[in-house]
Amino acid sequence: MSAEPAAAPVPTPTRWFPPPPAIVWAIAIAIVAALAYIASDVVVLVIFSAALAYVISPLVRRLEALAIRHNLAVTTVYVSLFVVFAVTAALVVPRLRAEIVTLSSGTFKQQVDQSLDKLHREIIEEYPPLQQVLGDPETRNERLSTVFQQQTANLPNLLSHAVEIVIVIVLIPVFSYFLLRDSRRLLQLLMDRLPADEIETSVAVWCEIERIAGRYLRGLALEAIAIATIASTGLWLLGVNYPLFLGAFSGMANVIPYVGPFLSGTVVAMIAMIQFQSFAPLVKVMLLYLGIKFCDLTIIQTMTVGRSVHLHPILLVASLLIGGHAFGLIGMVVAVPIVTALQEVTRLLLDHRRRKAGIRMPRRAPSTPIQTYVC
Amino acid sequence: MSWHWREWATDPEQLRRLRLLASVPLFAGLNRRLLGRLLIKLFEKRYPAGETIFREGDPGKAVFIVLEGKISIIRAVDGAEKPLAVLGPGTYFGELALIDDQPRFAAARADEDTTLLILYKSHFDDLIEGQKALAVHVMENLLKTLAGYVRSEQARNALRAAKGTVTLAEPTAAERTRR
Repeated sequence: MSAEPAAAPVPTPTRWFPPPPAIVWAIAIAIVAALAYIASDVVVLVIFSAALAYVISPLVRRLEALAIRHNLAVTTVYVSLFVVFAVTAALVVPRLRAEIVTLSSGTFKQQVDQSLDKLHREIIEEYPPLQQVLGDPETRNERLSTVFQQQTANLPNLLSHAVEIVIVIVLIPVFSYFLLRDSRRLLQLLMDRLPADEIETSVAVWCEIERIAGRYLRGLALEAIAIATIASTGLWLLGVNYPLFLGAFSGMANVIPYVGPFLSGTVVAMIAMIQFQSFAPLVKVMLLYLGIKFCDLTIIQTMTVGRSVHLHPILLVASLLIGGHAFGLIGMVVAVPIVTALQEVTRLLLDHRRRKAGIRMPRRAPSTPIQTYVC
Repeated sequence: MSWHWREWATDPEQLRRLRLLASVPLFAGLNRRLLGRLLIKLFEKRYPAGETIFREGDPGKAVFIVLEGKISIIRAVDGAEKPLAVLGPGTYFGELALIDDQPRFAAARADEDTTLLILYKSHFDDLIEGQKALAVHVMENLLKTLAGYVRSEQARNALRAAKGTVTLAEPTAAERTRR
């Protein structure tokens, strides 16, 4: 009888342990951040589309409050806005175009030359020692001509981006339409996937983000329209040329905190000085822009952006700088609501955690028994 | 065959919800326009049978309205679960979250597959900021509910004092109906 060979030891399968959720989250966030950085153009497009959807969403909700079908409400709002936009464009664009054509024409350059000559003479008459600093009018004109030529040479490059700009202008409304149309479905999908234990905090976080971002962006759009209207009217009353264009520019520039109003005020002051060939209108324009800023701070902002932004000034400036560095002008516009939303969400989550931790601690029994089922 | 544009344009599900909201005691007295405003602020969430909606001690941030299904309100007493109420479609719970964000006094659990409409306090606050009529009606209804709780508590305390016992009293049938 032969001895049976000893059975080879069966290797025990090594059990796979999933990584801790914190690591999974960190990896996921890192991947999303890397993808966002690589495809920053697409991210900007999506941000703009989402912003437009947010601005438009109250109109859709108004219709939904009347029990109108969601898809019909979204389509009705977009078609109506398109009609309004087309009519406004038909009325305003020819006038705006005429102003821009005049601004970029040769007559404007001549006007600039003449005005600068006059201002030059005024300064030198008042302060003769400054002649050494400012030089002769001829050399200044040569320098200016060189700058004009350089800028004109860049025009073809600028035009090559025109196609991209048009594509973006078309894509943003299309993207925002689909975002708004499918927002309910996406939200429902998310709500159904959320764990029940975390639903209240999740809803709270979502509400907070929506409240801050929505109110800020809608407020910003209203503020820009109000500023543009006041600036256009004021400039028209002061007799400054191109009031519509400069007013629209002031409204758009106002979107950038701190820098925007200063930029628009400076540009308008320069144009007024060139038009009137004197320093006198500078005071009027400055007073107008200070008045606009005062109205903006006291009335317009409180009625529009108002209580949605509670950022420390240092954090606000830092977010502007970082946003501007990462995504340019758009980054500066969206940085403030994003940082405010993050701040509020963090506060909410910490509050939730603190409360949960507090509940686990032993509590003193209440002096009188509470025996209702109020929850 | 005539084309009924109103039926084509309106969402039957939204209409059903509007009717349900109109029957919720917390929103009694609100007109169709205000109910519509309220409706678009609500989140919908489906819970499978047995799932906990919130636990005792969780911070309260929202009021829940039962759209479909059945909910049990339960409280742990001496380590055992004691059912306090069973709620069906058209009822609501967690309403005190609209007043403050104190911890929940009891837990809520879905007895069967349930769909809830959730009104978050922040949304409600946003809504009543611009809708004073809505605020007045809802607050009045909330006050009525609270007055009911206080009265029933007083009655129970009086009964306990008379019996000389300190046991957790069952909610009365009237209270269950109110909820």
